[in-house]
Amino acid sequence: MPVSDIQIFLVLPVVVLPLISFLFIFAGKKLNTENLALFHISVSFLLSLYLFSAIWDKQTFHIQWSWFSVGGTEFKAGILLNNLSVLMMVLVSGIATLVHVYSRVYMKGDPNIHKYWAYLGLFCFSMLSLVISDSLLLIYLFWELVGFSSYLLIGFWYTRDSAARASKKAFIMNRIGDLGFLTGIMIIYQQFHTLDLTLLFAENGFMQTSFIQNAMWVSDTSGMPEIWLTIAGAVFFLGAMAKSAQFPLHTWLPDAMEGPTSVSSLIHAATMVAAGVFLIARIYPVFNPQVLNMMVITGTITAFMAATIALTQNDIKRILAYSTISQLGFMIMALGIGAYSESIFHLSTHAFFKCLLFLAAGAVIHEMHHHRDKLGLDFDFQDIRRMGGLRKRMPLACISMCIASAALIGLPLTSGFLSKDAMLIKTFEWASEQVGILKIVPYLMLLSSALTAFYISRLIFKVFFAKPDVISSPVISAAKDAPKQMTYVLLILAFLSTFLPFSLNPLSYEVSWLWSGFRSVESTQAGFYHQLIPVIVNAISMLLIILAYLMYVNGKYSRLASGEGLLFRVSSGEWYLNQFYSFTFVKSVEKLAELSWRIDRYVIDSIVLSTAAVVRNISDFSRWTDKNIVDGAVNGSGAMVSKAGSIFRMLQSGRLQHYLLSILLILLTFLILTFFI
Amino acid sequence: MLSLLIFLPIAAAILILILPSRFEKVFKHICLGVSIIQFLLSLFIYLNFNSGTSAAGISNAGQYQLTEKLPWIRLDLGSIGKLEIDYFLGIDGLSMPFLLLSALVMFVATIASWEIKTNLRAYYPLFLLLNTAVIGVFCALDFFLFYIFYELMLLPLYFLIGMWGGVRREYAAIKFFLYTLFGSVFMLLVIIGLYFSVTDPTSGNHTFNMILMMDPANYLDGSIFSAIANQELFGISARLLAFIVLFVAFAIKVPIVPLHTWLPDAHVEAPTPVSIILAGLLLKVGGYGILRICYSIFPDAAIQSSWWIGLIGMVSILYGALNALAQTDLKRMIAYSSVSHMGFVLLGIASATTEGVSGAMYQMISHGALSAMLFFLVGMIYNRVHDREISSFRGLSELMPQFSAFVMIAFFASLGLPGFSAFIAEAFSLIGAFTSVYLPEWMAIGGSVGILLSAAYFLWTLQRMFFGQIRLKGGEEWKTTLYDANIREKIALLPLAALALLLGIFPSLLFDKMNASVLAFVQLITG
Repeated sequence: MPVSDIQIFLVLPVVVLPLISFLFIFAGKKLNTENLALFHISVSFLLSLYLFSAIWDKQTFHIQWSWFSVGGTEFKAGILLNNLSVLMMVLVSGIATLVHVYSRVYMKGDPNIHKYWAYLGLFCFSMLSLVISDSLLLIYLFWELVGFSSYLLIGFWYTRDSAARASKKAFIMNRIGDLGFLTGIMIIYQQFHTLDLTLLFAENGFMQTSFIQNAMWVSDTSGMPEIWLTIAGAVFFLGAMAKSAQFPLHTWLPDAMEGPTSVSSLIHAATMVAAGVFLIARIYPVFNPQVLNMMVITGTITAFMAATIALTQNDIKRILAYSTISQLGFMIMALGIGAYSESIFHLSTHAFFKCLLFLAAGAVIHEMHHHRDKLGLDFDFQDIRRMGGLRKRMPLACISMCIASAALIGLPLTSGFLSKDAMLIKTFEWASEQVGILKIVPYLMLLSSALTAFYISRLIFKVFFAKPDVISSPVISAAKDAPKQMTYVLLILAFLSTFLPFSLNPLSYEVSWLWSGFRSVESTQAGFYHQLIPVIVNAISMLLIILAYLMYVNGKYSRLASGEGLLFRVSSGEWYLNQFYSFTFVKSVEKLAELSWRIDRYVIDSIVLSTAAVVRNISDFSRWTDKNIVDGAVNGSGAMVSKAGSIFRMLQSGRLQHYLLSILLILLTFLILTFFI
Repeated sequence: MLSLLIFLPIAAAILILILPSRFEKVFKHICLGVSIIQFLLSLFIYLNFNSGTSAAGISNAGQYQLTEKLPWIRLDLGSIGKLEIDYFLGIDGLSMPFLLLSALVMFVATIASWEIKTNLRAYYPLFLLLNTAVIGVFCALDFFLFYIFYELMLLPLYFLIGMWGGVRREYAAIKFFLYTLFGSVFMLLVIIGLYFSVTDPTSGNHTFNMILMMDPANYLDGSIFSAIANQELFGISARLLAFIVLFVAFAIKVPIVPLHTWLPDAHVEAPTPVSIILAGLLLKVGGYGILRICYSIFPDAAIQSSWWIGLIGMVSILYGALNALAQTDLKRMIAYSSVSHMGFVLLGIASATTEGVSGAMYQMISHGALSAMLFFLVGMIYNRVHDREISSFRGLSELMPQFSAFVMIAFFASLGLPGFSAFIAEAFSLIGAFTSVYLPEWMAIGGSVGILLSAAYFLWTLQRMFFGQIRLKGGEEWKTTLYDANIREKIALLPLAALALLLGIFPSLLFDKMNASVLAFVQLITG
């Protein structure tokens, strides 16, 4: 469908405006930066909304410009807008706008506040550009830039050592994924000689028309052994794994909580970490069944592992971080089983409620921190054991957080109910056609979902309902709801966590506009699982919520919550993966580096130096002959010859280069004699 | 035009030598003026450069631009024939970018020379002589002339390191000198051999003309380097041997592992401006020589050796990066990172694909700018407190915010952050290596691990030196000596950062100028 030119001028500002805030502030503007940043991102959001209404389910918009050419191959840069990209655009700019509003209060008084706005601008620019890019090279470019802005924001309080370390860790772990992405690009480029998304992945694109024949993966232009198709899928998935914090590359995300909470909310919960899921969705045709199964397994392990770890953490942000990892595992698993639309649906609903969880937690942390410092007490203000009883002090935060948690658990009337049950239903349907170990996937997911209900209830009850801790009770009684701007943001997000924005029917995801926007095939086995799954899920969840209430509010079953036992320790030790990595990888790379430095010093250099010593000895010897034999002969001759000899001696002053020159002359003579005369 | 570019510094050097010493204060300004004029001239050349396929250059003498050809030495040698050496200059897409880079790096190095306080009357003429030699190398099309410029670079460098360097400067200078001399002595043998193998079809004389050497038809029947005769020396093909000899000569400059150990020592001992020139230009002479001479004159032997060259490239990338990770001296760390980054050049060249060769060229320009920037930054800190140990500093970004911002830019640009030139360069070197029929896929993938390692050593350094609470070895005293970047330093750093950014966002600025030549080059070597 032809698109009027006017839209280009609407698309570009969406991404460019946040960049302008970055550039302005970076170039030295330090006044009123919060208004500048907020204005730009809101305009960007409004334009995104307009584009969404123009493009969603109506048309695809694609425009390209020539970027550069290498040899004879042209590389283009362009914008590709379809359902997926406009949805992400609205999500990213919308949540970013809310976080901007929130941060005005939350970050007030920070001495480097202008940098904060600059970095946020850079992040929004990169993330928005990532979702509208039309080629793998461009996606890769912005992919790394979001990683970079996340690095800057995690390390925002760079004078803290832990923040500096966490930002480095995040960047390097993401780089591991980037290598995968880059390798994928190399494979695709070799096979198809283009990196253009439309040419590659559209209906009847290069990817679809390529085929496997005689163990060769054949395309129009070239062919590679079949294994490269699997490798291509696997390495792209590796890229997604790092960015979306999938096991075993997830350890950077909990550490990334060193950044300001508003940043954790925007980047490390709602948007950037979803980029991996987005990438998989964008290049979906590249994945063959083997790789899809890898996704299922990785996603399942991730969802389960992170949920078990979240059970025992005490840092409020760390619990939420593991919860994010677990939910991302759900999405990845769903993509693996082919539940494409369900996965994107969950990505969207999760973005809102997880953002809300973080922002509400931020409000709590803000109060705890503020009053702790005011009262001069000393305790960890992010520790949920120090909170409790905040329900009466911060009612709005409590209500919004409860709604978000209900969505996370998947209780009826929330958005999470729709998207999570949709995924679980699909998983059961899918598993009924599988054989072997894959059959246990839906049960593990069910278990993870139950664990989710428990850990988030534990958090809510400990923070808002339990009796306050003795140390921190003066702080608790001083706390009150956050200032208006922050609270409004919480309430808006709370509304967005209910079923209303997504579906008219609170109980059926199939009438949801968002889900239908990505539906490709009719679900065949609807019925049986459809009725059963939501009932089971909710029954289990209710039981666990009650259990959590009894344990953490009424103080029953204290033996269970006490922290004894091997399983508890594994969980609170985060499966000891950090220790394992540090021991196996970090240490061994350090050792290797040390070793190559030794080789350089003691092997290569000493060879060079001993060669030089040999040459020096030879020249010493020739100096000796010079003096005693040649010179002696010369001195015996007449005065004329003697004079010539002394000139000769002057030349042969023992300098190495002169001896090399004489070697050269001899060789030269030899060469000429052999070949030319 | 090219002669003006080459001999302007010589003229300035003579001027400095004859000026009375009371003008000593303006020497640096003369030098700066020279580099600005050179920059403007090369910018003019860049803007008027014909990038069409009819001006591709490489093996076609008629397609070179701004050529100057004068008979230089004509000596009747009796039975061997007439010695024919021309003063032959010209540029194509492979050499033109280096003119611009040379002018820029020289400009920055001159600004860095402000720190040099002793013996200025010797320093600046040597510096200008080096300038002449470097530009001459990139313009020369006669092998003899090339060799003269090539050797002429060594002399001033030796003295610049040996006289204005650090504590162990003499050791470093000798090491540097021996290494490169080792390479060039054998190169001379090959040059002589080539001279006797190639004849000028118009005059019938033997010739040093490089372009004529690229055409197999100009080789005498039965001569040692004739491709048809396929002579053997010491049991291997003479052409292959000659290729290896030339390759080693240039590869020492690049440098490659294991012929690289002169580089860290030379850098650590050299004064800042010399480090800048060394990393920014001298290493590129090596890469340029491999393209212009080794590959173009011996394409058959080059293709035969692709696998090994690719391997050397990959090993250099990884080995250099690992060594950088182990360093405690900031300057040595950056020197090793140069080894690693230049490995991409070899990997790209070895691929013999347009993507790879373009990537290699891009990497040389990009690394030229970035390494100049890195060494300048190290020089700034060394100049203030005479210490470069990473562990002596902590929390610098509180103390020197602008300096730290430049370090961040330089580090992230060097580790291949998209938006900066190194990203395009490394991506295309790797893509080329991956798609090449001469290299196995694992070499590209192995090389890409170098990108990961570069992130590790740069970010680790950032974390240790720049973040955290301020903690300095020199205590309170250093807090006052470690002042932030001043205007002079910013003038030097800004153009480099701007170039890296510009080339990262608009790769066509460079690719468009060299595409035709790269295509012709790949055509020449792959037949």
